[in-house]
Amino acid sequence: MAIEYKKSLAVFSDFVGVEDAEALLEWLGKNPKGKVNFEECTHIHASSLQVLMAVKPPVVAWPKDENLQLWLKVALE
Amino acid sequence: MNNLLEQFLSEARDFLQGIGEKLMQLENDPDSTELMVELFRFVHTLKGNSGLFDFPEMTRVLHASEDLMDAVRNGRVNYSQTLADQLLEAMDFVGSLMDEIEVTGKIGSNHLVISTELTKALRALLDTPDAVNVPVAIEVYTEDALTVKGISWSELPIMDLPETIAMGLHRCSIDGETVLWLQYTPEPECFFKGEDPFFLARQIPDVAWRHVILNNSASTLAEMDVFSSQLVFQLLTIAPETELDDLLRYVPDQIHRVKIPALAFVKPSGSSTDQAIDDDVIDSVLALFDNDEIDALIHTINTMLELSSPELWSSSALRWVLHLIDAEPDNKPAQRILLEAFRTQTAPDWSVLTPPIVPQHKTVSAPIHVNTSEIPDTLLRDFNVVINTQKEILSLPATSSGAWSAGRLKAVGATLIGCYRAVQRPHEIEGIEAALNIALTQNSPVPLLGWLETSLANTQELIFKGEPEPVVASLAAQPEVKFGRRTDDARGENAVAASKTLKVDQDKIDRLMNLIGEMVVAKNALPYLANRAETVFGVRELSREIKAQYAVINRVAEEMQDTIMQVRMMPVSFIFQRFPRMVRDISRKLGKEVELVLEGDATEADKNIIEALSDPLIHIVRNSLDHGLEMPEARLAAGKSVTGKLHIRASQESDRVLIEIIDDGKGINPEVIKHKAYEKGLIDEATLERISDQDAVNLVFAAGFSTADVISDLSGRGVGMDVVRSAVEKVNGTVGIESVAGKGTRLFMSLPLSMAVTNVMIIESNKQIFGVPMDLVVETVRVPRVQIRTIKQKQTTVLRGRIVPLLSLNDLLARNEAQLPNEDDEFATLIVRVHGEHVGILVDDFRETVDIILKPMTGILGGLPGYSGAALLGDGSVLMVLNPRELI
Amino acid sequence: MKHILVIDDAATVRLYHRNILEKAGYSVDEAINGIEALEKSLVKSYDLYIVDVNMPKLDGYGFLKEFRRQEDVVQSPAIMVTTESGNHDKILGYAAGANLYMTKPTKPNELLSYVRLLLGEVAE
Repeated sequence: MAIEYKKSLAVFSDFVGVEDAEALLEWLGKNPKGKVNFEECTHIHASSLQVLMAVKPPVVAWPKDENLQLWLKVALE
Repeated sequence: MNNLLEQFLSEARDFLQGIGEKLMQLENDPDSTELMVELFRFVHTLKGNSGLFDFPEMTRVLHASEDLMDAVRNGRVNYSQTLADQLLEAMDFVGSLMDEIEVTGKIGSNHLVISTELTKALRALLDTPDAVNVPVAIEVYTEDALTVKGISWSELPIMDLPETIAMGLHRCSIDGETVLWLQYTPEPECFFKGEDPFFLARQIPDVAWRHVILNNSASTLAEMDVFSSQLVFQLLTIAPETELDDLLRYVPDQIHRVKIPALAFVKPSGSSTDQAIDDDVIDSVLALFDNDEIDALIHTINTMLELSSPELWSSSALRWVLHLIDAEPDNKPAQRILLEAFRTQTAPDWSVLTPPIVPQHKTVSAPIHVNTSEIPDTLLRDFNVVINTQKEILSLPATSSGAWSAGRLKAVGATLIGCYRAVQRPHEIEGIEAALNIALTQNSPVPLLGWLETSLANTQELIFKGEPEPVVASLAAQPEVKFGRRTDDARGENAVAASKTLKVDQDKIDRLMNLIGEMVVAKNALPYLANRAETVFGVRELSREIKAQYAVINRVAEEMQDTIMQVRMMPVSFIFQRFPRMVRDISRKLGKEVELVLEGDATEADKNIIEALSDPLIHIVRNSLDHGLEMPEARLAAGKSVTGKLHIRASQESDRVLIEIIDDGKGINPEVIKHKAYEKGLIDEATLERISDQDAVNLVFAAGFSTADVISDLSGRGVGMDVVRSAVEKVNGTVGIESVAGKGTRLFMSLPLSMAVTNVMIIESNKQIFGVPMDLVVETVRVPRVQIRTIKQKQTTVLRGRIVPLLSLNDLLARNEAQLPNEDDEFATLIVRVHGEHVGILVDDFRETVDIILKPMTGILGGLPGYSGAALLGDGSVLMVLNPRELI
Repeated sequence: MKHILVIDDAATVRLYHRNILEKAGYSVDEAINGIEALEKSLVKSYDLYIVDVNMPKLDGYGFLKEFRRQEDVVQSPAIMVTTESGNHDKILGYAAGANLYMTKPTKPNELLSYVRLLLGEVAE
């Protein structure tokens, strides 16, 4: 699993694929105050990206991957 | 492989070699513009050629190399050793890609990383503004920014770019970079095709500004369709268009892109103020500008900037004026417009200076253009391109160099006539001709231009109003020729070409080779069988039929063998290609200057031969560089050119490959060799006295000749040359050397084209049969006993005016029997060539020649000298094959 | 049959254009630089010229400038083909006597469409 769901925090790691989008949407629906941590994430599939953009959850940590960080900040800030 | 690809590869190899040579020459003559220009042309043409194919990894590297060489050629970047190294490395990479293309017809997907790294390294040498250094903007836009129809840049959301980035991009643009605004709208169902648009968007290089938009139509989160893409990516990039084409080649219809002209970035921003700027101040600024007092103008503007808040729109405008003066010092009109804008406090209107942008791709569905005429849209579009180009040409100012020659006017006239004819408006032609005649008498383009403008105004139906077709990014995705039935032909050809190459494991080829070899031998059983049918069973009819069948099988087997040989053939370029680099590296290390000339690298030989050749050849080349070629000073002192010449040539001589390594170094001094050989005990005193110079030189091949001290004081080779000789002889090759002291050395190797099947002659001696490899047999003669003379206790005979020593095979094999002559008292004699000399071997009788598969002997037998191996004959018996070189 | 002269120093590009044009039924001659192109074009009159820019000895601009200066020859249209897509290059080419610019590698259908237009051929 590339996304680990804790109480009110979703921790993204490595490569988040297309199969993670539905669960992410569900979790964000159930946890409106849920936060996200991208620190160890290297890529997020476009399907999950659009879920994140629809919700714009607070970001605890931006990815280390510079290129991904630039894009995510543009999309989510 | 189709003919175009073949042509490309062969020409490309020439170019690579040319590039290598020019780089080497440049090292000696780094200021030669001529070399520089030629080098650029080579790289440029090679890049152009590679662009015809779908080899993005290759083209990318070549493109970067070309840009670099262009910069060098124009003096923007200095030629340096690092630069040469980098270019060489890039060319090595290109060469390796070509090897792969040659074998497989395409480039594997595993080269992208190296290609990207090389490109980066090459670009790093270019002093271009690096996109990475431009701070990246993070901007949020309202969604109505999406309603971009690709009509004008003024509608693009880049208008809110932060000033620093805008200035950076403006400068990039002025410096010749193309700044593209790119909008990527993935199709909604793309996830189901396994696509990840976000991943693709992230791959786009050199992004200066980026933005993502979500077009979510669902009212609640739960209703959102996560598997339907609702994203739009927008960005500004200065990546080369070809690179983008390549990257986005699978989604060209989802890409909308617009070239942004430099001035589009010049857009002051900031808060406005009620406080009007003093007219006097503006007038004085304009006066300074009009009087071309630029220093004073800059000073005044700087003072004004110090006095006002930097957030103000007017301050921004002033900063832009400074930037323009710096970046585009000659663009006075633009500077003037900006100053005017400053006065009026309104955005500058660049439309007077820049033509509207033509969008390159369509994404947003444009209103369908209803074409009233019967001219197809594409034709109409192309017609408009050509006509507008002619208009542009006719509007060009007459310069001193480009004065209006009658030829140019006529050519424009011919072009217009062609176009109007092609769109079936032949009645216009009269008008064109009339206008052309007036234009010619006046020597002015105006009459033609006038006609064209009037005509265009009157034929609205010929004006193309639709959107241009999306330009398909890469050639691969492009259907070939689109006219008539030919399309199918062209495609069919391509399909065949693509599937023509097959990658096969080498083991399988080897196995096939062995099987065919056995087949060749097995078929030899048939003549025995025929013989037995006749002599043992007395069925002559059957014997004849077997012989007829044998002829057929023989032919097929030979063809099979030939074909499989072809499969195993490899060009010597496989080895040659490392020489330019090796020679360069070694010679630089030694401080010598060497020009390497490679010739005949397309010469082919069996893979095993090529591989066996590799080490000896490298050894010889090293030797040449180490000991053959002199230091520059020594060369000068000897009256030679500073640069030594090393020539490596491959050629095919009937069924053998000849490799020559020629240098113009100091050569080998036979006297020194003689004495060294004597000291080493390789020759006795008598030999020392009478040995010829050539024989002395040949001593370098003698085992035990070379030692470390020989290297240091000897004038040349002798370093492990016996190793070279044995390696070459192992594959049935021969090696020789010729040298003239002070002039140079020529070393040559002759190798069989292939080594799997050996043609041997069967001979009889002492009631036994033996094989002798045919490639050593010069001829077979019968020598009458009376013609055998004994000179110094050695038997000789005179053959074609030449004394040939005779040896009896029984003696050589230590059998105490005399050879048997025939009824006429003649001895069967094999004349063989051993170490460059002819020697006659007396045997009892000759038999037929056969093709055999020579198996080297192993175990205890392996140590047996005088034999090169054994083979199975068709009748199941074993044939021992002699090695005359060791025997004698 | 219409005759086209393809001028390019790269054999690959010449062959590429030859393949496209011959398939479409044109007769194609080749020249490897501006000098050879001039020699050929003064002897035989071509209906169209496809001219590379960067060539040794005499480049595309040089060829066109010289060719357009010739009297008593048929001044057929010329397409300049180049990898350099800068605006400045275009103007140089137009001033020398080119009638159209195309970027390398030319796309077969685009090339043929322009060739037909310049030759005044009605598309089927």
